[in-house]
Amino acid sequence: MQTDSMKTDGMTRGKSFYFFGFLILVAFDTVVQLSFKYAGNHAFPPEANWAWIVRVFGHPWIYLAVIGYVGNFFTWMTLLKHAPIGPAFAVTHLEVVSVMLFSVWLFQEPLTWPKVIGAAVIVLGIICLAFAESGAHPEGDAPTEAKAALGVAAGS
Amino acid sequence: MSPLVVTLWLLNVTLDTVGQLSFKAAASDPAAGDGLARWRYMASRPWIWVGLISYVAEFLVWIAFLSLIDLSEGVLLGSINIVVVMIAGRILFREKLTPLRVTGILLVTAGVAIVGIAGAG
Repeated sequence: MQTDSMKTDGMTRGKSFYFFGFLILVAFDTVVQLSFKYAGNHAFPPEANWAWIVRVFGHPWIYLAVIGYVGNFFTWMTLLKHAPIGPAFAVTHLEVVSVMLFSVWLFQEPLTWPKVIGAAVIVLGIICLAFAESGAHPEGDAPTEAKAALGVAAGS
Repeated sequence: MSPLVVTLWLLNVTLDTVGQLSFKAAASDPAAGDGLARWRYMASRPWIWVGLISYVAEFLVWIAFLSLIDLSEGVLLGSINIVVVMIAGRILFREKLTPLRVTGILLVTAGVAIVGIAGAG
């Protein structure tokens, strides 16, 4: 249940709180995925044995991924205190777009049409799921500024 | 995509689903109580441990998967986890599948299929 203090909190925090909160969340998610890729590359080739696990943990990337995970967790918990689950859910999955763009830059991966179209369709689906979550728990919805934050983050 | 990549992808989805559902089972047990007692109770039951072990295994499978495939492709293909977890939640915990949820599930699946088919060809 929402208390008056929560409502006041939501209002004083306003749009920039959600915008930067969600931005930090996407940033942490992106760092985690990029670190996983670097960790995998350094431990290449993958094998179902102890030697491979030792190689994975023998480079700093895996630890950066863990730090990103922890940062992600605390950002998520802080945001969920004030934001409704639906938009929050959507934003955490928008990392597919940021990771894709960073992959093109850092790993020189080709940005092909199937990837662009596939990503666009996935993001549309995620936005549907986000609105479905918001509708499913109307009593848990935070003030409208969180929805505005979704609009900003999704670029709609 | 090689058979190994497909196997790792399927293994990742399975481990993620088992992990998430186990955490859900651990967290939603009405007998668990509150506060520290709740954590003690959860630790004495298998679900939270099944969840943790699944997550550690998933972590390693995901790294192996990403080292064999473009990261941009990997994260898009990984989006299928959202769909599978949601459908499994529907089956095991009788969560509602509203028309909007079904639309979202179909769109995410279609997006993953576009990326996957292009990657296979």
